[in-house]
Amino acid sequence: MEYFIISLLNGAIYGLLLFMVSAGLTLIFGMMGVLNFSHASFYMLGAYFAYTLSPLIGFGMAMIGASLLVGSVGVMVERFFLRRVHNYGHAHELLLTFGLSFIIAELVKLFFGNFPIDYRIPVSLDFAAFRIGGADYPFYRLIMGGIAIAMFALIYLLLTLTRVGIVVRSAIYKPRMAEALGHNVPLVFMGVFGVGAALAGLAGAVAGAFYTTNPNMALELGVMVFVVVVVGGLGSLGGAMIASLLIGIITSICVGIDKSLADLFSLLGIGDWAQDIGGLLTLKLSSLASTIPFALMLLVLLVRPSGLMGEKEHL
Amino acid sequence: MSASKFIRPVVVACTALLLVSVTLAAPLKVAVIEALSGPQASTGLSYRNATRYAIDRLNTAGGWNGEKIDLIEYDNQGGPTGAADKLKAAIADGAQFIVSGSSSAVGGQLTDDIRKYNIRNPGKEVVLLNLGAEANELTGEKCHFHNFRFSSNAQIRIKALVGAMKKDGVIGTRVYSINQNYSWGQDTENAIVEYASVGGYKVVEKTLHDVNKIQDFSPYVSKIVAANVDTVITGNWSNDLLLLMKATKASGLKARFGTTFLDQPGNLANAGDAATGHYIAHLFNAEAGGKEGEQFAEDYKAKTGRYPAFIEGQAVQGMLMFGEALKSVKAQSNNLNVNAWALALENTKFKTPMGELRMRAADHQALVPVVVSVVSNDAKYKVDGTALGFKPIMVLTGEQAATPVPAACKMQRPTQTP
Repeated sequence: MEYFIISLLNGAIYGLLLFMVSAGLTLIFGMMGVLNFSHASFYMLGAYFAYTLSPLIGFGMAMIGASLLVGSVGVMVERFFLRRVHNYGHAHELLLTFGLSFIIAELVKLFFGNFPIDYRIPVSLDFAAFRIGGADYPFYRLIMGGIAIAMFALIYLLLTLTRVGIVVRSAIYKPRMAEALGHNVPLVFMGVFGVGAALAGLAGAVAGAFYTTNPNMALELGVMVFVVVVVGGLGSLGGAMIASLLIGIITSICVGIDKSLADLFSLLGIGDWAQDIGGLLTLKLSSLASTIPFALMLLVLLVRPSGLMGEKEHL
Repeated sequence: MSASKFIRPVVVACTALLLVSVTLAAPLKVAVIEALSGPQASTGLSYRNATRYAIDRLNTAGGWNGEKIDLIEYDNQGGPTGAADKLKAAIADGAQFIVSGSSSAVGGQLTDDIRKYNIRNPGKEVVLLNLGAEANELTGEKCHFHNFRFSSNAQIRIKALVGAMKKDGVIGTRVYSINQNYSWGQDTENAIVEYASVGGYKVVEKTLHDVNKIQDFSPYVSKIVAANVDTVITGNWSNDLLLLMKATKASGLKARFGTTFLDQPGNLANAGDAATGHYIAHLFNAEAGGKEGEQFAEDYKAKTGRYPAFIEGQAVQGMLMFGEALKSVKAQSNNLNVNAWALALENTKFKTPMGELRMRAADHQALVPVVVSVVSNDAKYKVDGTALGFKPIMVLTGEQAATPVPAACKMQRPTQTP
């Protein structure tokens, strides 16, 4: 039982981290229709910026500084790159951001080297929150979860309750009309892209210290972030939240399940036969844990192509 | 313009080139096929740097046949598919030796392709110098005459590790095995089970997980905590080891780790003081090599900018042994007969700072000395800018460390003596 609670907690917090990164991605897609392949690179940049800044201005300030820096990188990317190719359609935007992700990765390698850097959580935050199941539960994990939840609440309230939110939503829904009413739509787009990048940067700054900061971190997380956005429904913030939690918790719990299909068959009395066949039938669920999100994505695409909370495709 | 007008000069040029290449023998070419870009680049570049250093040293000593040995680099982009392509390119470029090491998957592809190429092209054989792909099958089921492994394998490492930990009385009775789910990790798991009686422990639980895909290792660590073990033995490397270390540290887990690749740069920095007391079975530790080890480490640092770490030491020694065997091979009409080199290698006794390195003729698995070290403040060479380093506690000679020739290896030796 205790083990189950830990798994649930671990999974939920990892899910919240996934949400922090995918929030920006789904926001940008929902508002601008741009599938941003370099989004996970912003996550990586956040970690490296925070690593560079934290000896200078302290850990807490470095978090903020890194998000602002990554946000401004995002603004530049939108203003000087994406805006130019926007008129040529999605394929160009896709290729542009795809190329950008390689450039960012190579730049990071150039400046910080190939190996993981020594970016760690500060000693003052490095303690156990409580003990459960014979092991410490790190306080920093709770911070990560807290930041993600605060972020979700803030964006949600911003979009639904404030005047800025109304302008942003109208600029998305009917850009021409919003423009005719005197709103600067390109500025809104730039802002949204910048905020999306800054959110990924913040996630990187927070999570890079807890996990690792290396030139491959964008690649490692990037795939999972796309899975989250697809499962949750492109453009849906709530969907991204649900999908992140779902993926985090399912993966975490599956790790502990050492059962295979053959065990399932043995309930029917044909377990020995299944053991003899081997192959897929004897593969343990635990060894497949990190593959399960992809299976989930496949299932969602088959049953509900627009994602859990996505709007119906306009055809 | 008629076709012949265009073709004739080309034919003439080709013939001329051919004649030139026959009369002026090309220098001996060694190709390193490694992951020079992409996620595995840090490992691939380590092998590249080590190979470059060793070849430079051989060239300073005169190269071979009065010419410098030519080292060509190919980027396999981290996978077997890329490696298969680059192997073709390397052979077309005239490479007679292929160097690789960072992945058993790549190693398996290369050795298979080379075996087939050699069957189809008698007299033009190519040799694989495997510096670090350690899955058992590479000198087991897949062994062949032109495949040489200069590093150890899963069995050798685990045997040494378990032996030393048992001797120090730290292994305990309950052991957890966590490994990556591919040839190397599976071999390590089997070895951990195999040496259970030697180490006097019980393997409480075994976990195989996806390779370099997992971000959050805390579910695995809570599984380890739940199993209540004394020691965790893992063959993990790269991110999978780093993240496992970090998650362990965060959970306050007290179990001791027995590892094989903890000396990869970045691991100790990230694991912090929690790593103190962890064990590693590796093939090179400058401190264990005494004066010679120090000399080599300083020279390596002077040339490449840092002390040899991770697989660099073993890779350099392997390549230097390759050069040692070359010394005794005479050129035949200005070319190298690789079979003659192979036979020379089987009789080479190469002195490394760790001890004597020899190549076992039966399966072409090197008899390589193994060092078991413990993470400690007392180590001479600190790593990653921390106060920690690897303090050697036991050095096994190649013979002591060796495991039996796998029955699965059925090597076809060349029938003609060169």
